[in-house]
Amino acid sequence: MTTPAIELPHVSVALALRQTGALARRAVVNTLRFPQAWFPALFFPLILMTIFTGSFGAAPGRLPGFPPVRGFLDFALAGAILQGVLIGGTGAGAFFAADIEGGFLDRLVASPVSRVAILTGRLAGGIVLAVIQALLFIGIAVAFGARVQGGVLGVLIVVVLAALLAVAVGGLGVMLALRTGSAEAVQGSFPLFFALMFFSSAFFPRETMTGWFKTVADLNPISHLVEGMRDQIVVGVDWKAAGIALVIVLALGAVTVGASARALTRRIAGG
Amino acid sequence: MHAIQRTFAVTGMLAWRAIILVRRMPSVFIPSLVMPLFILVATSGAFRAIGQLPALGGSSYLAFTIPLATVMGGGFAGVNAGMTLARDIEGGFVDRLISSPAPRISLIAGPLTAAAIRSVFTTTVVLIAGLIGGVGLPGIGGTLVIYLMALGFSAAAACWSMGVALRARSVQSASLMQVVVFVSVFTSVAYAPRPLLSGWLRTVADWNPVTRLLEASRAVEFSGVDWDTLGPGLAAIAIMLAVLGTFALTGLVQLVRR
Repeated sequence: MTTPAIELPHVSVALALRQTGALARRAVVNTLRFPQAWFPALFFPLILMTIFTGSFGAAPGRLPGFPPVRGFLDFALAGAILQGVLIGGTGAGAFFAADIEGGFLDRLVASPVSRVAILTGRLAGGIVLAVIQALLFIGIAVAFGARVQGGVLGVLIVVVLAALLAVAVGGLGVMLALRTGSAEAVQGSFPLFFALMFFSSAFFPRETMTGWFKTVADLNPISHLVEGMRDQIVVGVDWKAAGIALVIVLALGAVTVGASARALTRRIAGG
Repeated sequence: MHAIQRTFAVTGMLAWRAIILVRRMPSVFIPSLVMPLFILVATSGAFRAIGQLPALGGSSYLAFTIPLATVMGGGFAGVNAGMTLARDIEGGFVDRLISSPAPRISLIAGPLTAAAIRSVFTTTVVLIAGLIGGVGLPGIGGTLVIYLMALGFSAAAACWSMGVALRARSVQSASLMQVVVFVSVFTSVAYAPRPLLSGWLRTVADWNPVTRLLEASRAVEFSGVDWDTLGPGLAAIAIMLAVLGTFALTGLVQLVRR
């Protein structure tokens, strides 16, 4: 379908921020209203975290190369947060596609809403959900005996990284939604993330891997991202690891949000 | 035609129809083939070092993972049977079959047969991948045990998934079929042997029938056919089929009486 080119509305920054807030609120409420939207993002990471903890509890301290850690739950927490944000981000993209399928995006475009707010609203909604998710996961893990060695600052770093990852994944989801217009196609991107997670150090340390698998994990940005979160939990505040993770997530975000902004511009222009 | 002959004939036709969906709808079948291979490669690569723990005594973790991948492949084949049935219920094909003189039991037996055939195929693919990775076949008897355990779980998963499909009568119930199959496998000895499991997982794994299937399959990988583990494996299949077969049959009765 081609949409006639529409003159961009001129809105003040304050108004654009209010519109972003309203659209972010809608994204959060929309997600929370449908259990099928938030349940997988909570259930699968938590169940895998507990299963891995129950299965590999004997690994720390006994396996050569396994980094020193209080217990496997502490080690598994960062992977669970990352997995939850990836599932949640994919779901956010699918919701955006549903907005396109249902005509909501066309109504937004026909209204004087800031074009930037259409994108930032969705991404800000993803940030709110990622923050809730990360804090919830940390809370549950701590309740079951995990400790965040980095303390409040460590938690803050983990939450910030999770929020930025939500922007990067949300950007990709929005871009796919705008290009395909299909929620199914966006959901179909999750196996890619799932594969990226398994071929990384999200669930087990790189130090214990060998051969081509280790090479892939070394090159996989997810490894460095999850290690940036994990070090705050198992070691203490580690600015170097956090910095590497920050650079990776900002680079990913710049690419995906840039691509989604271009896709939105093209769609508005009827391209 | 004799009633039994007719049942076999219709079951065979429905199974064939489900099998040729592989060509018509590859998007349905390919994930069920790729996922066991993915599980094999990703799990054995990521957790390779677990094989160095005393409980595994330096055994190959790839060999340890093969039964997980074959049983999971059987599970996916079973879920496919439920999804196919749900789609047929939504599309009205099942209604047409019910109003025809086709034996009702074929509605379950057809997809069940297709799931069994698919599980044999995915098990073969996983075993070939294992051979490429350097894990040889555990002799004729051992290889048959691996096939049997995967086939048994595919039949159990198919009965579960069809029972759900017959009650929910919607493809949207696919996620429920998948989640239960996933969780039943992962809360067993999927990643580590029982001596290494701790906490609630150990308790759940002790009671989980999938544990017996994996242990029977793993025993032949490491020490040949072992009746001490094969017996509980066969008993677990029998119990799962009795319970889940009843679940599917009562769902069929409800659908027919609707």
